[in-house]
Amino acid sequence: MQRIGSSFLILLTLLLLTPWAKAERLEQIALQQSSPSTALLLTIEQAGDRLVAAGEQGIVIFSNDDGAIWQQANVPASVLITGLHFFDNQKGWAVGHDGIVLATTDGGANWTRQLDGVVINQLRVGAIKEEIARFNELTVKDELALEELEFLLDDAELASEEGPSTPLLDLLFLDSQHGYALGAYGLFLETRDGGNSWAYIGHKLPNPDGFHLNKIFQTREGTLIIIGEAGLMLSSVDLGNTWSRINVPYEGSLFSIAEADELYVMGLRGTLLQVLSGEYLLGSDGSPAVGWRTIQLDITSTINDSALVDGQLYLVGQDGVLLRQNGKRFEPFSKRGLRSYSAITSSGSYLVLVGEGGVSRIALNEGGK
Amino acid sequence: MKQLSSILLWPINSSQLLAECLLFNYRKVFLLLFFIMTLGLAWQAAQIRPDASFVKMIPAEHPYVENYIRYQDDLSGLGNSIRVVVAAKQGDVFTREFQSTLKDVTDELFFIPGVDRSALKSIWTPNVRWTEVTEEGFVGGPVIPPKYDGSDESLEQVRKNILRSGQVGILVGNDFRSAMVQVPLFDKDPKTGEKLNYKEFSQLIERLVRDKYSSENVSIHITGFAKVVGDLIDGAVQVALFFAIAFIVTMVLLYLYSGSVMGTIIPLLCSLVAVIWQLGILNLLGYGIDPYSMLVPFLVFAIAVSHGVQIVNTITLESATTGAGKLQAAKHAFKTIYIPGLTALISDGIGFMTLMVIEIEVIQDLAVAASLGVAVIILTNLMLLPLLMSYVGVGRHAIAKAKRGIEKQHSRWHLLTVFTQPKGAAIAVVVALGLALWGGYASKGLQIGDLDAGAPELRPNSRYNLDNEFITSNYSTSSDVFVVMVSTPAEYCSRYETLATVDRFQFYMRDIKGVQSSISLVDVSERVTAGLNEGSLKWRSIIRNQYVINASLSYVPAGLMNSDCSLLPVIIFLDDHKAETLKGVTAAVERFAAEYQTESLKFNMAAGKAGFEAATNEVIEKAQYEMLIWVYAVVSFLCLLTFRSIRTVICIITPLALTSVLCQALMAKLGIGVKVATLPVIALGVGIGVDYGIYIYSKLQMYLDQGHSLTKAYLETLQSTGKSVAFTGFTLAIGVVLWTFSPIKFQADMGVLLTFMFIWNMLGALVLLPAIACLLRKGGSADVAK
Repeated sequence: MQRIGSSFLILLTLLLLTPWAKAERLEQIALQQSSPSTALLLTIEQAGDRLVAAGEQGIVIFSNDDGAIWQQANVPASVLITGLHFFDNQKGWAVGHDGIVLATTDGGANWTRQLDGVVINQLRVGAIKEEIARFNELTVKDELALEELEFLLDDAELASEEGPSTPLLDLLFLDSQHGYALGAYGLFLETRDGGNSWAYIGHKLPNPDGFHLNKIFQTREGTLIIIGEAGLMLSSVDLGNTWSRINVPYEGSLFSIAEADELYVMGLRGTLLQVLSGEYLLGSDGSPAVGWRTIQLDITSTINDSALVDGQLYLVGQDGVLLRQNGKRFEPFSKRGLRSYSAITSSGSYLVLVGEGGVSRIALNEGGK
Repeated sequence: MKQLSSILLWPINSSQLLAECLLFNYRKVFLLLFFIMTLGLAWQAAQIRPDASFVKMIPAEHPYVENYIRYQDDLSGLGNSIRVVVAAKQGDVFTREFQSTLKDVTDELFFIPGVDRSALKSIWTPNVRWTEVTEEGFVGGPVIPPKYDGSDESLEQVRKNILRSGQVGILVGNDFRSAMVQVPLFDKDPKTGEKLNYKEFSQLIERLVRDKYSSENVSIHITGFAKVVGDLIDGAVQVALFFAIAFIVTMVLLYLYSGSVMGTIIPLLCSLVAVIWQLGILNLLGYGIDPYSMLVPFLVFAIAVSHGVQIVNTITLESATTGAGKLQAAKHAFKTIYIPGLTALISDGIGFMTLMVIEIEVIQDLAVAASLGVAVIILTNLMLLPLLMSYVGVGRHAIAKAKRGIEKQHSRWHLLTVFTQPKGAAIAVVVALGLALWGGYASKGLQIGDLDAGAPELRPNSRYNLDNEFITSNYSTSSDVFVVMVSTPAEYCSRYETLATVDRFQFYMRDIKGVQSSISLVDVSERVTAGLNEGSLKWRSIIRNQYVINASLSYVPAGLMNSDCSLLPVIIFLDDHKAETLKGVTAAVERFAAEYQTESLKFNMAAGKAGFEAATNEVIEKAQYEMLIWVYAVVSFLCLLTFRSIRTVICIITPLALTSVLCQALMAKLGIGVKVATLPVIALGVGIGVDYGIYIYSKLQMYLDQGHSLTKAYLETLQSTGKSVAFTGFTLAIGVVLWTFSPIKFQADMGVLLTFMFIWNMLGALVLLPAIACLLRKGGSADVAK
């Protein structure tokens, strides 16, 4: 029923936009391009042996030969895609601007829409109303929390009027059914049926200022970690049922997190923080106790992404930064790029990077020149 | 038909009598009159100014150009600008010396008159900034840090600032070995309202920038329309030298041909007078000399000489055969030459006038200048020349030479009479047919527009084009700019819906062959939105929230939107300006517009250099056949009037048509496109080429009327005028063949093609004309009886 309602809402939005209907990028099929691998690309993931990358105007590309030759996928929308996640070599999801969620069951060649911002706005208003109702039914009323929720409802309703403008920025599936998607202004969604239906749970996070949520990550031990704007770091040891805030000795935005010999968190202006071994787990009282070490890098460019290759961490970022871990130090690897990198992965004997200039491939044996 | 033509030809026939009476009865009065006119017009001619205007070279009536003119005021900075690149010969830009040179060059350019100082850009100007978000918020500053002192640390700072300013490939070369100064120019000085003097500006740039700052460490590269025009005007000086050479060579040939000092000096003098009159009248009418009409004096001179030769030749023959005196011989020559000469000149002039169908001002100016020149020749060489000759005569030496010539009865002309026999005629026609077929096939490769990279007006290896190549290969923004003007209702240019559609448009265009990149308000909004979100690339999108968009557009660089927000230009950078590329681009824009254009969002083509070229190509493609039809129609009609026989028209026109076809084949083979410069060549070639046919046929007709057989009549024709026809062909060719060495590419192209056309037209007239006459006469012997 809700899906029918949401379709109706999209239709209504489209009708209201009639003179501009042709410009509705949520509805426009992504244009096929002759060299899609040179477009602005933000994210790259592995789907089995295949590489899949995505970026501007609904471009999704895939390669079966470590990134040498790319093909463009069929995507039913033309928004900027910000995040990809593959459960296996067939099943995957993508998120992007205007709250879009796309899914594939053929390893990234064909995509269908699962969700968009119009529905998200609705889910958000509905979820907060429900929460208010639940609070009202409590015998002991928490007036402060209620007031807080009323504010959130106002925000949500305002956002609905503005349309599907909030971008999703990342996603993670714990298995083929249970996944999370997150985005700007504290947007946080959960699905338990492989993306067929979603629930808004942003209000359940300890993120009262509605900071952007940039990345979600699962440690080897199973802890979920979300990093975001203004030094925001949240963790959950129960697969997302409850979240608590971790104090980070840094107030800038965090964009990437990786687990190598230790857990590393990276962000704005060349910030690289190391979480000291084993101490990032929650204390029994629920308050996280973490020891940190700040690693000085020679650069002041934002680190956007990282990848673990043969036990060594590679970092990429703005202004063409590419660094490789060497013990405790991080050193420039290969020639510095001229344009910003957004994401990195490895395939075969190559590092495959994406960013402003599209795909770049760097041989791992090219060495730390 | 006969009646009609006699009515139409009445003015020509009667003017001959009138002119003859007046001219030769009041010789001194007329000479004085000519002398005074020449003095006056020489004074005018001396004042003629080089004139090169951007708007004149583009088709003003084309919708693209109309669109451009409508939005011209809102497109400031997209129009006229030059780019100066300072390149390090060794190492990169991050040295103290390099930065100091770059700073000096920037300052130097700042003070050159005509420069729009507020929009001048280099990494040393304060309007080029970097921005970045830190933990504390948005920060930014000029690329050169305020504390810059040339130390290694501050150079490293510069490097960082360049990277985060997004100027790599724009103001700094992709390889960091050069840096650019963008120098927008005022077409008109905003204070004085004076037009930019391209010649002076270009010379100033050369002197104050290139000469001053080029060194063993640094090279300077300059491109831009102002520089092209400057180079064209400089190239024109060399053309003057060609004129001198052509003059001397013609003089020598003329003397060898006529054997008469006076028979050499007088035609040259009269032809010079024609050039002076033409230039003087042009100046009186308010025309200047542009790189196209610059060539007209050559043509006028060559045509004038060729007609002069006919007169001198006739005078010499008359003196030699009848022993007539100076005056009598001159009078006779005037009588003999006046009508065919006038007909030929009128058909030249009207042939040139057909160029007016091409709606590009430089070509229309060329048509006016050339027609005027031909009209002037009627006075100077058909009238003044016999007048002068009636005083001086050709001299005994020349007459004696001519007598010997007649007595000898040259056998070499016999060779050509082969074509008056059915067998020879058939062979000639079959060969011509074969050539025509081959030409038609070969000219399939003929292309519209300019085919070379860079400034096609100049040679590919000219300094300008080498500079252009350097910039194209090291920067992401080529000089082949195609601007699509997206128009909306007022205040709508920054609406989400507008920007989202333009975003898709740019993305669509990105995939079109020949498109390098594009830039518009969309890029500003996307970049600043990302900047406002800590530079994260994940925000490099148009956000569907008007407040966010408005915030992202709080600072918009000049030229990306107009003041009432109803226009946003999309600037598309192309690989080249080949007709194929431009066609692909315009077709793509049309396809996109057809699908996405709405009442409140229109995609208007086109401004920018490539935009105007696209418009020019369209006009030329349409005009080329229109012009051919006109020029042939007019020339045929004139021949029909003169000779009152369709067969004659066929005899005269067919060789011209063959030459036209072969000329197109030659263009295709040489890689010369049909363009502003080469389109007039066909009209000029046909207009002038018809002269041979007219002269030969009028003589032939005369001998046929006397009852001679075709072979005999043709031999007589050749013996009396064959030599002068051949001579005419060579004189004309000498006038234009030197253009081939012009530093200006299109002049060279015109030179090659005109030389080819003049020579082939002559050969066609000598070989094909009698052959066709023979075959046609055989078919209809009724004509012979007449």
